[in-house]
Amino acid sequence: MKSVRSMVLVSSDPISMERGAAQVYENLKTEIETLGLSDEISLTMIGDVGRHDALPFVIVYPEATIYGPVKPENAQHLVEEHLYKGRVVPELQASHKELTGKIAWVNARKGTLPAEQRIVLQRVGVIDPENIEEYIINDGYQALGKVLSEMSPRDVIEEVKASGLRGRGGAGFPTGLKWGFVAGTPAKKKYVICNGDESEPGTFKDRLILEGDPHSIIEAMSIAAYAVGANEGFIYIRGEYLLAQERLKKAIKQAYDYGILGEKIFGSEFNFDIHVHSGAGAYICGEETALIESIEGKRGEPRARPPYPTTHGLWGKPTLVNNVETLANIPAILRNGGKWYRSFGTPSSPGTKVYTILGNVNVTGLIEVPMGITLREVIAIYAKGMKNDVSFKVAQTGGSSGSIIPASLQDTPMDFDSFQNAGVSLGSGALLICDENTCVLDLAKVLQNFFKKESCGKCNPCRIGNERAYQILENISQGTGTMQDLDDLAMISKNMYELSNCGLGQTAGSPIRDILNHYRAEVEAHIKLKVCPSGVCPMSGKRL
Amino acid sequence: MYQLKIDDKEIEVPEGTTVLKAARMAGIEIPTLCDHPALEPYGGCRLCMVEIEGARTLQPACTLPVSDKMVIRTQTDKVKDARKFILSMIFSERNHFCPYCQVSGSDCELQNAAYGEGMTHWPIQPNWKPYPVDASHPYFVLDHNRCILCRRCVRACAELVGNFTLGMEERGANTLLVADLGVPLGSSSCISCGVCVQICPTGALIDRWSAYRGQEKDVSSTKTICLGCSIGCGIEVLHRDNNLIKIKGDWDAEINGGVLCDVGRFIPMDEKRNRLVTPMLRKDGALKAATWDEALSVVMENFKPFINKKEHGIAAIASTRLPADVLYYYKQVFEEILGSNMVTSTEEGRYTAVLSEFAEHKGPFESKLSEIHKADTIMTIGLDLTKDHQVAGFFIKRLIPKGTKVIPVSYESSGMDAFTPHSMIIERNEDLAFIQALDAAITGADYSKFAEKSGISSQEITEIANLLDRSKNLVIVYGTDFDAKQKRETVQSLLKLAKKLNAKLISPKGKANSLVAEQLKLNKPFNVNGHKAAYVALGDEDPSQAVIKKLENIPFLVVQASYQSALTAKADVVLPVTTWLEQSGYYITCDGQVQLANKSLQSPVEVKTNKEVVLAIADRLKIIVNPVWDKAVKLENSVVEID
Repeated sequence: MKSVRSMVLVSSDPISMERGAAQVYENLKTEIETLGLSDEISLTMIGDVGRHDALPFVIVYPEATIYGPVKPENAQHLVEEHLYKGRVVPELQASHKELTGKIAWVNARKGTLPAEQRIVLQRVGVIDPENIEEYIINDGYQALGKVLSEMSPRDVIEEVKASGLRGRGGAGFPTGLKWGFVAGTPAKKKYVICNGDESEPGTFKDRLILEGDPHSIIEAMSIAAYAVGANEGFIYIRGEYLLAQERLKKAIKQAYDYGILGEKIFGSEFNFDIHVHSGAGAYICGEETALIESIEGKRGEPRARPPYPTTHGLWGKPTLVNNVETLANIPAILRNGGKWYRSFGTPSSPGTKVYTILGNVNVTGLIEVPMGITLREVIAIYAKGMKNDVSFKVAQTGGSSGSIIPASLQDTPMDFDSFQNAGVSLGSGALLICDENTCVLDLAKVLQNFFKKESCGKCNPCRIGNERAYQILENISQGTGTMQDLDDLAMISKNMYELSNCGLGQTAGSPIRDILNHYRAEVEAHIKLKVCPSGVCPMSGKRL
Repeated sequence: MYQLKIDDKEIEVPEGTTVLKAARMAGIEIPTLCDHPALEPYGGCRLCMVEIEGARTLQPACTLPVSDKMVIRTQTDKVKDARKFILSMIFSERNHFCPYCQVSGSDCELQNAAYGEGMTHWPIQPNWKPYPVDASHPYFVLDHNRCILCRRCVRACAELVGNFTLGMEERGANTLLVADLGVPLGSSSCISCGVCVQICPTGALIDRWSAYRGQEKDVSSTKTICLGCSIGCGIEVLHRDNNLIKIKGDWDAEINGGVLCDVGRFIPMDEKRNRLVTPMLRKDGALKAATWDEALSVVMENFKPFINKKEHGIAAIASTRLPADVLYYYKQVFEEILGSNMVTSTEEGRYTAVLSEFAEHKGPFESKLSEIHKADTIMTIGLDLTKDHQVAGFFIKRLIPKGTKVIPVSYESSGMDAFTPHSMIIERNEDLAFIQALDAAITGADYSKFAEKSGISSQEITEIANLLDRSKNLVIVYGTDFDAKQKRETVQSLLKLAKKLNAKLISPKGKANSLVAEQLKLNKPFNVNGHKAAYVALGDEDPSQAVIKKLENIPFLVVQASYQSALTAKADVVLPVTTWLEQSGYYITCDGQVQLANKSLQSPVEVKTNKEVVLAIADRLKIIVNPVWDKAVKLENSVVEID
């Protein structure tokens, strides 16, 4: 890799691509070549940069200037001014100019924390994801080399246990323990699956990792496979994530070319193969047993448990299923040790968490912060406050199976246990932040509508419960609700939790439970006064 | 063994038992909907939820395996509330207005479960959305409005029949049962076995004949066996006031475990032939009703001159659907007493004669049908199990998803091809070459000549030979639809190959008593050559065109039959007999199991059983027949061990 004086990054997430990022890249390249700067300036397409307000972005390092939205015709001006003459072009800079320099990845680059702590997103938006050499230069495959040459599988699992890493898919199950279960099940054939079927509304952290740092997943899966005794892995990627699939396939091919995948990796006795499997648009396939069924070519429906995938997974073999974000933590843990990892976050939930911020805030996008930060801090520091200064009312975490967090909980540390104690869940890490103009009934209705469409349909409580709950919410929002409806809603929500087959069904009723717990007066106003206090619900329709 | 406590009842059950089964062992009933003993546990309906001490939430009894010292409660308020919730949800999903439903009363498992929980109304508003009704199938109707999406039909279609016609479309609230990729049932890949109809817990799948003709509690039921072929499936015949209502597979039957094909379940319901209800005599060129006495007297008068006249005597042919004892009496009367040289069966030994030649000196060389269930590789040759003996075909098809390799060998594409990548379509009548090619490939000899002759590439022959050679439990299911000239040689080389591969051989033969007819040597080709009279004991079988043609010029023809046919129209005497449902008798399956078929319906007054008719003739001849049929059947070596 050559040394350069400037690094130019072009965002290439799907939105940017749609808005002509490829042409921007081409034009920049031509301009740089025309001016003879090719030797001193590197030009790279990077994945999602974690901010979505002015795409496509062009970022110039080392100044960390963000330009956006950049149109193909701006390329010539930009190259001439900034790269040739060394003058920033203010009119092309992204909005919220005052924030430039405080955005997550810029800090990561400059090392000016405390704003963010990056472990998982360390390289995202910094390296060229399609170039294995850049990954290797940035500590890549170091952990795998260490594991294969110095550590026994048992050591690896102990290290992961020592780190206290908990699954980032939503349930927060201790990762080391899960690895131990799979390792402890004797079998000739075992599998490792990376769950990249990120389908929770509003969550896109996994996509960012897959698009921006695909090799980290390959490295982590190889380590996991070595630890549990597997020799084959699948990366199940959501069908809509075409770019991520493409990047992963390229990365896998590169890894094979470099001898990092395949047989006798790094001269050891360890063999490992990875396949990329595309989802087909079903939310439920993010549930690990449904995902396994889907890989097997069957209809994506969660299995009955027990037996668990750790003993009876893919094709009946012991299978380790880990979320993308969970896996992305692994190389850093093995490189720096579990103890190092514990220096971040809280004692019961060590490490960092990636959140996707969306809703009525000034800055939306993706951040990685230590576990235990509060919602108030997120809004104030990373989201730069509420939009138009309307006060914060409610947040929704973890996509649809997360919880509705009332303003009263905005000072609760966001970690697995504190949230559990408060009766809410961290979910998959989306933070939908809503202001006072939001009607909670409407919010619950939107979520319930999603579930009624996305329930797999296997078990009755979830399939019918969501449908009925949606219907009742719809009636209330139309002004035809009764007080009996509230009891019915509570009953449906409670029974869905008790009786459903999988995690989706169990948590799908939680929006109802949460609005009844925290906003009962507002819901009752819809029924008793036939008024939507936030002025959102239609209130005029009649029951057919 | 695990110690459990279910509702304060202590019980010991083996490891791996589900909570549901353990509860049933303890005599505790847990309501279920999606669960069925013949299917794998599914855990979809969530009606069987029980409290397990230490568990965070209620747990499904059907899928949860017991663990030691487990404490289970099935009658707590929490459990009962859960059941009511589930039932309220189901009632609210689609149209479950009971009064209009054909299964309302006692046949509906949903209604029964609701009554069981003391429910009197739907606590939650029902859904008023109408769903489609699929009435495109000739034998049954699918009413989506009554469907509770328990997937019992889908699982039965896959797990029991291996046909995978039924499936689910869409997801969530839009989930819908579909055939294939959403085509009407009538134009789908459905093979009309009707197992889905039998297993449906509600009125979503109802058959066209039994619908609205009575609940199972109102009708009588007789357990018997199907006489459609020689597999010998156990069935339950439902009848009311001597009317046939429905035929169901017997879930407890060891042979078929509840599975039936259309021949057993629906074809007998669709009986359109005209019944013979009185003996008839030809007078002045026309058939006229007569008494039994008159009819039998005429038969005797016309037979007497030809007794012991061999080729100028009486030719006799009997259906292989007749009971074993009747066939034995028939043989005695015609062969021994009347001295005929032409006494045979309607099958004329087509499926069996060659085989028993080998059995004569080899002894039994075939295995039990149940060997199929244990097979890891199955080859079928000389028959099409998607047309005849279909249940055996189901047994094979349903193993494919579990990893069993199936190699159907045929001349043209068959219904099996879609399910297995190993189907072999060979040149017509070249079975011998195909078997020889396999044999040579396994021994390591040159097989290219045989391969070419059979029309299969050398590479494929190697692949199949490897499959067969590697198999640990190889079963070859074979028929005798081989080139007539090479039949013996083909079977011989097949036996040789099977021996080399240590394969189990099974042949499903012909009709219900194919094996008995063979053992009684009623296996000659039926040739009428100068015979002066003929006796055809058809029973309820249809006469073949060949037999009708052969009997065209016979001077005197007696037909013993249940239904009018082209043959009875030509007969001089017609003796009306019972159908298979109106008589009892013994049958021996293709793999040698002796079964009793029970009488389920009363016959019309003037109709006699096949046995009574044959015995009446013996009586007129003043002889007493030997009743020990089973000894006679076992007299000669048979191809398969007879129980």
